[in-house]
Amino acid sequence: MSEPVLDVQGLTISYETPGGRIRALDDVGFRIGAGEALAIVGESGSGKSTVALAVLGLLAAEAHVHGGTIRFQGRDLDALAPNDRRALRGNRISVVFQDPFTSLNPSLPIGLQVAEPLLHHKGMGRDDAHQRVLAALAEVGLPRADELARAYPHQLSGGMQQRVLIATALICEPALVILDEPTTALDVTIEAQILDLLEELRRRRRLSILFISHNLGVVSRLSDAICVLYAGKVLETGPTREVLLKPSHPYTKGLLASLPRLSAGGRVPRLSPIPGRFPNLAALPTGCVFHPRCPYVEDRCKTETQTLAEAGHNLRARCWKAESLAGAPWPEAIHAQSTVGAAGERAKTLVRIEDLRKEFRLGGMFAGVEMGWTKGRGPYVRARPMRVKAVDGVTLQIAPGEVLGLVGESGSGKSTLGRCLIRLLEPNGGRIVFADQDVTTAPERKLRTLRKEAQIIFQNPDSSLNPRKTVGDIVGRPITLFNAAPKAERPRRVAELLGKVGLSVAYAGRYPHQLSGGEKQRVGIARALATEPRFIVCDEAVSSLDVSVQATILNLLSDLRDNLGLAYLFISHDLSVVAHIATRIAVMYAGAVCEEGPTQNLLKPPYHPYTEALLSAIPLPDPRAAARQRIRLRGDAPGSGSSARGCRFAHRCPRKLGPICDEQAPPAVDAAPGHRIACHIPLDELRKIPPVLG
Amino acid sequence: MVFYIIKRLLYIALILVAMSVLIFSITQALPGNVAHVIAGQFATPDVIAAIERKLGLQDPLPLQYWRWVSGILVGNLGESLIMERPIAPILGEAIGRSAVLAAFSIVLVTVFGIGLGLLAAIRHNRPLDHGISVFTYVGISVPEFFWGIVLILLFVGYFQWLPAGGYGDLGKGLGVWLSHLILPTATLTFTLIAHVSRLTRSSMLETLASQYVKNARAKGLPERIVLVRHALRNALLPTITVLAVDVGWLFGGIVVVETVFSFPGLGRLLVFAIERRDLPLIQSSILIVSGIYCFANLIADLLYAYFNPKIRYGRAHS
Repeated sequence: MSEPVLDVQGLTISYETPGGRIRALDDVGFRIGAGEALAIVGESGSGKSTVALAVLGLLAAEAHVHGGTIRFQGRDLDALAPNDRRALRGNRISVVFQDPFTSLNPSLPIGLQVAEPLLHHKGMGRDDAHQRVLAALAEVGLPRADELARAYPHQLSGGMQQRVLIATALICEPALVILDEPTTALDVTIEAQILDLLEELRRRRRLSILFISHNLGVVSRLSDAICVLYAGKVLETGPTREVLLKPSHPYTKGLLASLPRLSAGGRVPRLSPIPGRFPNLAALPTGCVFHPRCPYVEDRCKTETQTLAEAGHNLRARCWKAESLAGAPWPEAIHAQSTVGAAGERAKTLVRIEDLRKEFRLGGMFAGVEMGWTKGRGPYVRARPMRVKAVDGVTLQIAPGEVLGLVGESGSGKSTLGRCLIRLLEPNGGRIVFADQDVTTAPERKLRTLRKEAQIIFQNPDSSLNPRKTVGDIVGRPITLFNAAPKAERPRRVAELLGKVGLSVAYAGRYPHQLSGGEKQRVGIARALATEPRFIVCDEAVSSLDVSVQATILNLLSDLRDNLGLAYLFISHDLSVVAHIATRIAVMYAGAVCEEGPTQNLLKPPYHPYTEALLSAIPLPDPRAAARQRIRLRGDAPGSGSSARGCRFAHRCPRKLGPICDEQAPPAVDAAPGHRIACHIPLDELRKIPPVLG
Repeated sequence: MVFYIIKRLLYIALILVAMSVLIFSITQALPGNVAHVIAGQFATPDVIAAIERKLGLQDPLPLQYWRWVSGILVGNLGESLIMERPIAPILGEAIGRSAVLAAFSIVLVTVFGIGLGLLAAIRHNRPLDHGISVFTYVGISVPEFFWGIVLILLFVGYFQWLPAGGYGDLGKGLGVWLSHLILPTATLTFTLIAHVSRLTRSSMLETLASQYVKNARAKGLPERIVLVRHALRNALLPTITVLAVDVGWLFGGIVVVETVFSFPGLGRLLVFAIERRDLPLIQSSILIVSGIYCFANLIADLLYAYFNPKIRYGRAHS
């Protein structure tokens, strides 16, 4: 084997924190050969980003390297002077970070930001660099590079910003590119575009890639080998195909079992998450770090420190039982018995919205006038739209005990719809009927029933829980407000609610910052349950959680639906999550619903071309699916409420028929009972589309 | 941009009209009037009425207001009732002296305030940062007249290096002129330097922790470029806004400092006019101060737009 581009051995790093010394990495080693892509996979806290920073030489001052070597093309990086190290950064080793929205400097033009590595590493003049910048921007698929080079970051969409960052990382033709969650902040359709681009660049340029991600689906698209990191230790490493198809370490098995899978057959009733919680890095368990959560645990695991050993077929795993567990499936979670949801109940309607509309006004006094100067043509004045139609005529209904999934890209208006539905936002038109009561315009004092029976769980538990209140106060507040229990009963009721979401009574006295992300979301759910609602809007309720935690919360939500007969509007950008929990799905695009139907109907043809595109954009954690046919959308999602007369999706539609799509609003066609598709393409044609999912 | 400036100028005109009404009403509500001051303690009602008639103080208020405002519109600020001289030259002279004081102060505040803040941020949690922190903490917690008195005790009383107050005409030499400015400026700026430097420090620290600065370092740029090109420009945005607000604060400070140092500027003139109920002089001085404040904010906003392309180019339209 030729010399690896990157060779990391025995890397051990800790951080000094007020809570004590945290071991972020412990004896981490891997190699990346020329043209190879290695993925480091792990949940938050696994230490995967520390690996990236260590390779770059950008560790924080609190970080302390205890041992290990990082060799880049044979050179020991730690032996280099800081200036020599800097000369490698952005030049021979470059990086693309997670969040494109904050990675570009808001006050510098794009062209300069892309050119900087050339100016400083290659000593190029601005003019020479400019030509290279234009070529680089074109290579990452950005049109009108000349204009773009003069633009500023806020004028670009997230997908374009990430392309700019990729162009910057590649401009000095580095030997190694580190991709640190490069698509996590993007919409699934944009993620698919960026992954295609990275795949193509990798092939064309024979790039060596260190790919850091929590998403096994994304990893399976882009990497040759996987290194699974847990609490700073490599638990399993091997070729992508082997690790994903025949995982040998229990943690890897658990990660894969936690993922909601899409299949044309419809929904899988229950996920099988990893029990327990991520260990405290300041006080790691003895023996195997994973033993407190491992279903195959034995006494030996609790005392014996595990070493990374051959586990057959190119795999290495840190588990003495790895070989005997090969092929053993992750134990399935026990199925909860469904107690309600009889057909008779379903026939009724709990929530009904008709032709719901919500507009937002933009800006101040002069927002409606745009003035400017065109080169050579002089000044211009033109009107610009002062209103954005976020929700534009949506009709939906939800039965008691039913889960309606709502999917769409960011800006499609799905959160606005959810908030209008429970009158957190005032709709501008249409009707909302809740439990046979028209609540569209009812004044707040008449909304007591709605406020009690309809609740919401927000995406980000960090910002939706009051940091100065204890969990007990947060959960108890709605009980007091709605007098849902006698005063003496309240502490018991809080304990009961916490029990329902799987938290012990001890949590009542804690503050939100003492909880993990999953626990905070449980508190959010307990708070929503406190008034004994019949309907909950789950607004991206699991999107910010790690996969294993996400699976636990999804199971919890399903159990609550089954046991309490709750109905949900489940809003998410992730179709695989929605398809897992929802019985029916509505697909939203630019403020309107373009398809709605039962989950199993929606996942196979006939479907709306947008649904087809969303389905094929989802990265599946299955290397065999890599060859599946992909539909790609051009461009970005529009801000909601483009004022097109025709089909809103026409400008991005890969199956656009012709002028009719631009000129006439598409008719809603019934493909099956309860399955509506708003598209000009005849139903028979739609039926002939080959299915995305096998 | 031109459109924006025109728009802002219109706003400023509106604000000044509103201010003039406000100033006029408030000064009318002041107890006592100038006739009592002119006529002295033992004047008979007849004498006072005669003076009031002569000065037009018995006319209806709208008429008095109109007389004042229409005068201003043609550049005539009226006459000081006490000094019996046109206001414009009195004000002009006072403003000139105060402007010198203010200009020196603003330059010092900008240079030292921003400079110290940046130094502290770059040396975060090192001895220099802690030193600057102590200095600025003392600066914002002690009122400025205290420093004025301390400085007078030290440099006038003990060392006898500088004059205690008053104004040195430039005609008497640059040294004399400067020696009269040093103590008032130092007093005036100490608190503001502390204020601006604390703000700059925290804003710079925030910027240094941002993702785009991390990204700039990941490009392998020299630290100097990371600091100046990537961090400084963005870190200064909040400082610019606050500097403009501080200009208003500066006027408050000027009134105090000019009194402490008997410096014959706008601040002292204003105090004098208020003591004597010299309404035209009060009104015109305050109106001028308002105008200056408005323009300081306009300049700050233009600077802000220059540094921030989001404002300069508006939002992206699809």
